[in-house]
Amino acid sequence: MKKIHNLFDKLYKIESLKKFKPVIQAADFFLFGTEETTTSAPHISDNMDIKRYMIMVVIALLPSTFASIYYYGWRAVAIILVSYIVGGIVEVTFAVIRGHDVEEGFLVTGLIFPLVLPPTIPLWIVGVGIFFGTFFGKEVFGGTGKNTFNPALVGRIFITIAFPVFMSANWYEPFTSGLGGFLHYAPDVVTSATPLASIKAGVELPYSYIDLFLGKAPGSMGETFRLGIIIGGLFLIATKIVNWRIPVAYLGSVFVLSSLGNIVMPETIASPGLQLLSGGLLFGAFFMATDPVSSPFTKIGKWIYGICLGLFTILIRSFSGYTEGVMFSIILMNGFTPLIDSIILQIKYKPIKKRSEAVLNER
Amino acid sequence: MKVNYKKFSTGGYEFKDFKGNPINKVIDMEIPQTLTIPLKQGFGGEVSVIVKPGEYVKAGQIIGIDKNAISSPVHSSINGIVEEIKTIKHLNKEVNAVVIKSDGTKEWQPLEGHSREWNKLSTEQIQKLLYMSGVTSLDKSGIPTIFKSSVISPEQVENVIVYGIGTEPFNISLSVLLQDERKSQFVTGLKILKKVMSNAKFYLAVNKKNSKLIQELNNLLFDVDWIELYALPPKYPLELDEVLIPTILGKKYPYGYLAANIGVIALSMQTVTQVYDAVVQGKPLIERTVALGGTGWKENVHMKVRVGTSIEDITSLYLKEHESYRLILNSMLTNKSLTSKSLPMDRTSSVLIALKENKEREVFSWLRAGKNKDSYSNAFLCSLMKVSNKSCDTNIHGEYRSCISCGFCEDVCPVDIIPHLIQKYVKKNMLDEEVIDYGIFNCIGCNLCSYVCTSKIDVAKDIREGQEKLTKDECGRDTIVEPYFDLIGLKEFKNL
Ligand code: SF4
Ligand code: SF4
Repeated sequence: MKKIHNLFDKLYKIESLKKFKPVIQAADFFLFGTEETTTSAPHISDNMDIKRYMIMVVIALLPSTFASIYYYGWRAVAIILVSYIVGGIVEVTFAVIRGHDVEEGFLVTGLIFPLVLPPTIPLWIVGVGIFFGTFFGKEVFGGTGKNTFNPALVGRIFITIAFPVFMSANWYEPFTSGLGGFLHYAPDVVTSATPLASIKAGVELPYSYIDLFLGKAPGSMGETFRLGIIIGGLFLIATKIVNWRIPVAYLGSVFVLSSLGNIVMPETIASPGLQLLSGGLLFGAFFMATDPVSSPFTKIGKWIYGICLGLFTILIRSFSGYTEGVMFSIILMNGFTPLIDSIILQIKYKPIKKRSEAVLNER
Repeated sequence: MKVNYKKFSTGGYEFKDFKGNPINKVIDMEIPQTLTIPLKQGFGGEVSVIVKPGEYVKAGQIIGIDKNAISSPVHSSINGIVEEIKTIKHLNKEVNAVVIKSDGTKEWQPLEGHSREWNKLSTEQIQKLLYMSGVTSLDKSGIPTIFKSSVISPEQVENVIVYGIGTEPFNISLSVLLQDERKSQFVTGLKILKKVMSNAKFYLAVNKKNSKLIQELNNLLFDVDWIELYALPPKYPLELDEVLIPTILGKKYPYGYLAANIGVIALSMQTVTQVYDAVVQGKPLIERTVALGGTGWKENVHMKVRVGTSIEDITSLYLKEHESYRLILNSMLTNKSLTSKSLPMDRTSSVLIALKENKEREVFSWLRAGKNKDSYSNAFLCSLMKVSNKSCDTNIHGEYRSCISCGFCEDVCPVDIIPHLIQKYVKKNMLDEEVIDYGIFNCIGCNLCSYVCTSKIDVAKDIREGQEKLTKDECGRDTIVEPYFDLIGLKEFKNL
């Protein structure tokens, strides 16, 4: 440890590496933590920091990550690696250019992005997607904390539009027996239909609810092992990393709206059980809609946001040409986030000055 | 007496199980050789000195008094000779202080007119005793008397709240403060105060987990109908007037003003015991019980120290050597650190904290289970453990980052504003009516938002800066508070 320590000290001093200080510093702090102390009251500081915050999300994503390897082989790891490497390079490049710190947000973005991709995706598209997502979804807005849209989603939507063939035509049948994908690089049985597509086409589903719950039906890599997603999501809520309001509002409104819709239009609107257990709804509700930066910060705003998400998801799934509506709904609502917040703020905080003049006049 | 259990749900945070909590042991400190007694202590202005260098003074003798300005007298707390009168920087203000060299004796001179049969004393006599003892200068608004000890008169007090909740990471122990016969003396203290502020309704605010104390107080006060007990959760910052008063009385607080301005006086339990001491035993305010909190002390005892004892006299006895510690008086969350060990303990001191200066880097700190890491979030193991031994030090435990709107600051804010929103307005220098509407002036500076911030942003400091700038531009608090409240004693408050 001491040796590595000294190495960093040397690196800081090399003149030609001055420009790369953010990178060296990121590695340094990653290993050793900080020596910074408080300067005034409060003299103590919570142990929570961004690294811990992000790592908790990564931990919550681990069940889905392992499931993606189990169901789709080691290729899943290759996809995740490409995403981390390309995403990391973009983040680091911008840190160097702007001369600010490397922000840990990419640890989460770099993992969420591959998990929402179809397992058949060519690796180069993964690279393109994460590049586009971090670049246009985050960096052009000024980096972590300033982005309007969820960067992983921006990347995902971009490649959906740019490379539609790769994104929705082919799906793998997951491995479901024995050690599954842990013994394979990639599955070879290709199927054309995900459960959502079957529902849309009005075909009888070959999967039971249990299959859907455990991930035995085809779908995006990390979206199918729903048991793990729920566990991960509840873990995040229990640790207070994720606010419970958005998932509850989102899933709740999907449930209520599809129950009602299913009664009125059973042909077009699938039943609530299927809605909740298919596509990327659970994953989106727990891991993407809850991104604190791109969702409303006001409490009532969170409810509105979640309810609208549910509404749009059902609408897109049932009435549009697309089979899945989760991602489009989230991106759409990301765009409305500032508006929702400002309306809530205006309602909650009435102008004080004007009121006080009124009070004075009364006296 | 009625006992109410009340929740406190708008924000706040319970600091608990920290290493270095004061234990139930009291030590009488020896009389130090010299004392430095500041002429401004507690509520009110600086008093004028009435002794000269070379003069012999007795413990309990008044050495500074100013009958015309809002203040309470200051006493010598030892027998000895006045050495000099000098200016010191005490609690970030330049004040004059009297240096006294002790002759080594312990005796003190009792107040004139005190009586075991306090009930037979007239209200004026009691008020005189309180004033002459200096007890009237304690806590945020002082205790009103016919003398100029607070900004309002005793008849104007509608509510008196006496608190002993213990909401800071380190608190003075109530079992020490109200040991044995002290409990009934405390109750007598309450009755004395009631005699002075006869129009007031009294409230006791106690930690709801301290059921033993609640029971005992209930036994002592069962036939008293002018007092109510509130059992509250020990959440910081419930002991601040700005939060305590709305929680108990359901009244709006004029942020930035005194509780006295709305007819409320909030007192700590130690104050009430000292009221008893003054009136019944004739003891002037020359001694305080001070708890030693934090891991820097060899033993976390309580000490009875004479007012004016220098911090060094305590640290030389109890502070651990070989490591560096930051010394803070009373509150780690709101008070500045003590810059010099030669500064004196004054009559408002109740906890002296030695917090470890921690510049050490922790390898893979973000990956640790965190058995003793305190956090508002539940991301560390210790939030699962019933009893833990949380450590605290000055390290910030993370790196400065940009705000990710995690919302922790909003969740803990006790006055229901959105700290990160206001902080962003201040940072962008958008200081206009809008941030005032968002409640920038509601911020009471409890610093909890800075404590919890994931991105290590000093949110509270930025908000404070915004308040100062607005005040400079004549858009200060007064413009939004004064029209809404019928404030009493406002003129006196402004002259302070
Ligand atoms: S706690 Fe810090 S990071 Fe979180 S919302 Fe508040 S200011 Fe932003
Ligand atoms: S310092 Fe101000 S803004 Fe921060 S938590 Fe306390 S009252 Fe709220």
